[in-house]
Amino acid sequence: MKRLSVVQLLNSKTFLLSSVLQIGDSREINARSNVLAVQRQYELFYGSEGEVVFPVFTKPIPTLDVPMSVQTYRLHESPVISVRSIYLIAASTASVVHIGSTSTVKGETRIKHIRQLAESTTFREASIRMTKDG
Amino acid sequence: MNYTVVNREVQIGDIYLTAVTSSSIFLIGDADVIQLASAFDTPPESLIVGPFVPLTPKGS
Repeated sequence: MKRLSVVQLLNSKTFLLSSVLQIGDSREINARSNVLAVQRQYELFYGSEGEVVFPVFTKPIPTLDVPMSVQTYRLHESPVISVRSIYLIAASTASVVHIGSTSTVKGETRIKHIRQLAESTTFREASIRMTKDG
Repeated sequence: MNYTVVNREVQIGDIYLTAVTSSSIFLIGDADVIQLASAFDTPPESLIVGPFVPLTPKGS
Protein backbone atom coordinates (compact mmCIF):
# COMPACT_ATOMS: atom_id res chain seq x y z
CA MET A 1 0.00 0.00 0.00
CA LYS A 2 1.11 3.48 -0.77
CA ARG A 3 0.58 6.52 1.42
CA LEU A 4 -1.85 9.33 0.81
CA SER A 5 -0.31 12.63 -0.30
CA VAL A 6 -1.96 15.79 1.00
CA VAL A 7 -0.89 19.17 -0.37
CA GLN A 8 -2.94 22.12 0.77
CA LEU A 9 -1.62 24.67 -1.69
CA LEU A 10 0.26 24.41 -4.97
CA ASN A 11 1.36 27.62 -6.62
CA SER A 12 3.16 27.04 -9.93
CA LYS A 13 3.66 29.36 -12.87
CA THR A 14 4.85 27.42 -15.92
CA PHE A 15 4.88 23.92 -17.35
CA LEU A 16 6.61 23.65 -20.69
CA LEU A 17 8.37 21.29 -23.11
CA SER A 18 6.50 18.08 -22.30
CA SER A 19 6.60 18.44 -18.52
CA VAL A 20 3.72 17.05 -16.52
CA LEU A 21 1.86 17.97 -13.36
CA GLN A 22 0.36 14.75 -12.09
CA ILE A 23 -2.15 14.89 -9.24
CA GLY A 24 -3.07 11.39 -8.17
CA ASP A 25 -1.34 8.04 -8.26
CA SER A 26 0.39 6.61 -11.30
CA ARG A 27 2.07 3.35 -12.13
CA GLU A 28 4.83 4.03 -14.61
CA ILE A 29 6.67 7.20 -15.62
CA ASN A 30 9.02 7.31 -18.58
CA ALA A 31 10.48 10.76 -19.19
CA ARG A 32 12.92 11.36 -22.02
CA SER A 33 14.38 14.50 -23.51
CA ASN A 34 17.02 15.27 -26.13
CA VAL A 35 18.31 18.81 -26.37
CA LEU A 36 20.61 20.37 -28.95
CA ALA A 37 21.43 23.84 -27.69
CA VAL A 38 23.38 26.12 -30.01
CA GLN A 39 24.42 29.56 -28.88
CA ARG A 40 25.83 31.95 -31.45
CA GLN A 41 27.30 35.33 -30.95
CA TYR A 42 24.98 36.66 -33.61
CA GLU A 43 21.42 35.71 -34.44
CA LEU A 44 21.84 33.16 -37.18
CA PHE A 45 20.25 29.79 -37.88
CA TYR A 46 20.51 27.59 -40.95
CA GLY A 47 17.42 25.43 -41.33
CA SER A 48 19.16 22.13 -42.01
CA GLU A 49 21.26 22.00 -38.84
CA GLY A 50 21.49 19.24 -36.28
CA GLU A 51 20.26 16.53 -38.62
CA VAL A 52 23.31 14.36 -38.11
CA VAL A 53 23.08 12.52 -34.83
CA PHE A 54 25.67 13.40 -32.21
CA PRO A 55 27.17 10.55 -30.15
CA VAL A 56 25.78 11.97 -26.92
CA PHE A 57 22.29 11.18 -28.22
CA THR A 58 23.05 7.59 -29.16
CA LYS A 59 25.59 6.31 -26.62
CA PRO A 60 23.93 3.88 -24.24
CA ILE A 61 23.81 4.99 -20.62
CA PRO A 62 24.35 2.06 -18.28
CA THR A 63 21.58 1.52 -15.78
CA LEU A 64 21.85 0.10 -12.31
CA ASP A 65 19.96 -3.15 -11.98
CA VAL A 66 17.54 -3.36 -9.11
CA PRO A 67 18.47 -6.43 -7.08
CA MET A 68 15.35 -8.48 -6.59
CA SER A 69 17.03 -10.42 -3.79
CA VAL A 70 16.38 -7.56 -1.35
CA GLN A 71 13.06 -8.21 0.35
CA THR A 72 11.69 -4.82 1.32
CA TYR A 73 9.01 -4.37 3.95
CA ARG A 74 7.41 -1.00 4.35
CA LEU A 75 5.48 -0.16 7.47
CA HIS A 76 3.44 3.00 7.15
CA GLU A 77 2.87 4.03 10.75
CA SER A 78 1.27 7.20 9.44
CA PRO A 79 -0.59 6.75 6.15
CA VAL A 80 -0.29 10.42 5.16
CA ILE A 81 2.44 12.62 3.67
CA SER A 82 1.37 16.16 4.45
CA VAL A 83 2.68 19.31 2.80
CA ARG A 84 1.38 22.75 3.60
CA SER A 85 2.43 24.57 0.44
CA ILE A 86 4.56 24.32 -2.69
CA TYR A 87 5.77 27.34 -4.63
CA LEU A 88 7.21 26.32 -7.96
CA ILE A 89 8.17 28.66 -10.75
CA ALA A 90 8.69 26.27 -13.64
CA ALA A 91 8.87 22.68 -14.77
CA SER A 92 10.52 22.02 -18.09
CA THR A 93 12.00 19.49 -20.51
CA ALA A 94 10.08 16.29 -19.75
CA SER A 95 10.15 16.75 -15.99
CA VAL A 96 7.38 15.58 -13.70
CA VAL A 97 5.81 17.19 -10.65
CA HIS A 98 3.93 14.39 -8.99
CA ILE A 99 1.56 14.63 -6.05
CA GLY A 100 0.67 11.07 -5.25
CA SER A 101 2.41 7.74 -5.36
CA THR A 102 3.90 5.83 -8.26
CA SER A 103 5.71 2.60 -8.87
CA THR A 104 8.43 2.87 -11.52
CA VAL A 105 10.13 6.06 -12.65
CA LYS A 106 12.58 6.11 -15.53
CA GLY A 107 14.08 9.32 -16.77
CA GLU A 108 16.77 10.10 -19.28
CA THR A 109 18.01 13.40 -20.64
CA ARG A 110 20.72 14.05 -23.20
CA ILE A 111 22.00 17.54 -23.84
CA LYS A 112 24.50 18.76 -26.42
CA HIS A 113 25.56 22.33 -25.85
CA ILE A 114 27.60 24.17 -28.48
CA ARG A 115 28.76 27.75 -28.38
CA GLN A 116 29.87 29.49 -31.57
CA LEU A 117 31.76 32.74 -31.39
CA ALA A 118 32.97 35.08 -34.11
CA GLU A 119 36.64 34.70 -34.85
CA SER A 120 38.97 37.44 -33.79
CA THR A 121 40.11 39.67 -36.64
CA THR A 122 43.82 38.89 -36.11
CA PHE A 123 43.62 35.14 -36.83
CA ARG A 124 41.34 34.97 -39.79
CA GLU A 125 43.16 31.92 -41.22
CA ALA A 126 42.82 29.60 -38.24
CA SER A 127 39.12 29.56 -38.55
CA ILE A 128 37.06 26.53 -37.61
CA ARG A 129 37.63 24.08 -34.80
CA MET A 130 35.20 21.22 -34.72
CA THR A 131 35.42 18.15 -32.56
CA LYS A 132 35.72 14.56 -33.69
CA ASP A 133 32.39 13.75 -32.12
CA GLY A 134 30.84 16.65 -33.92
CA MET B 1 18.38 -10.01 2.55
CA ASN B 2 15.55 -8.37 4.39
CA TYR B 3 15.09 -4.63 4.54
CA THR B 4 12.46 -2.98 6.70
CA VAL B 5 11.40 0.65 6.42
CA VAL B 6 9.18 2.29 9.02
CA ASN B 7 7.54 5.47 7.75
CA ARG B 8 6.42 7.53 10.68
CA GLU B 9 4.56 10.82 10.49
CA VAL B 10 5.74 13.20 7.75
CA GLN B 11 4.63 16.81 7.90
CA ILE B 12 6.27 19.34 5.60
CA GLY B 13 5.77 23.09 5.83
CA ASP B 14 6.47 25.23 2.78
CA ILE B 15 8.50 24.12 -0.25
CA TYR B 16 10.04 26.81 -2.45
CA LEU B 17 11.31 25.56 -5.79
CA THR B 18 12.66 27.49 -8.73
CA ALA B 19 12.60 24.82 -11.39
CA VAL B 20 12.35 21.11 -12.12
CA THR B 21 13.93 20.32 -15.48
CA SER B 22 15.58 17.76 -17.74
CA SER B 23 13.57 14.59 -17.11
CA SER B 24 13.82 15.00 -13.33
CA ILE B 25 11.01 14.32 -10.91
CA PHE B 26 9.63 16.14 -7.90
CA LEU B 27 7.63 13.55 -6.04
CA ILE B 28 5.39 13.89 -3.05
CA GLY B 29 4.48 10.30 -2.41
CA ASP B 30 5.92 6.82 -2.53
CA ALA B 31 7.76 5.04 -5.31
CA ASP B 32 9.20 1.58 -5.75
CA VAL B 33 11.97 2.22 -8.27
CA ILE B 34 13.46 5.46 -9.58
CA GLN B 35 16.06 5.35 -12.34
CA LEU B 36 17.26 8.67 -13.69
CA ALA B 37 20.20 9.29 -16.00
CA SER B 38 21.56 12.25 -17.85
CA ALA B 39 24.32 12.99 -20.33
CA PHE B 40 25.42 16.57 -20.73
CA ASP B 41 27.98 17.22 -23.46
CA THR B 42 29.61 20.61 -23.44
CA PRO B 43 33.35 20.01 -23.50
CA PRO B 44 35.75 22.89 -24.18
CA GLU B 45 35.89 21.70 -27.80
CA SER B 46 32.21 22.52 -28.11
CA LEU B 47 33.32 26.11 -28.25
CA ILE B 48 33.78 26.90 -31.91
CA VAL B 49 35.59 30.09 -32.82
CA GLY B 50 35.31 30.98 -36.44
CA PRO B 51 32.89 31.87 -39.19
CA PHE B 52 29.35 30.79 -38.57
CA VAL B 53 29.28 27.67 -40.70
CA PRO B 54 26.31 25.37 -40.19
CA LEU B 55 26.74 22.49 -37.73
CA THR B 56 26.78 19.09 -39.42
CA PRO B 57 25.50 20.40 -42.74
CA LYS B 58 23.51 18.16 -45.05
CA GLY B 59 25.41 15.34 -46.71
CA SER B 60 28.29 15.26 -44.25
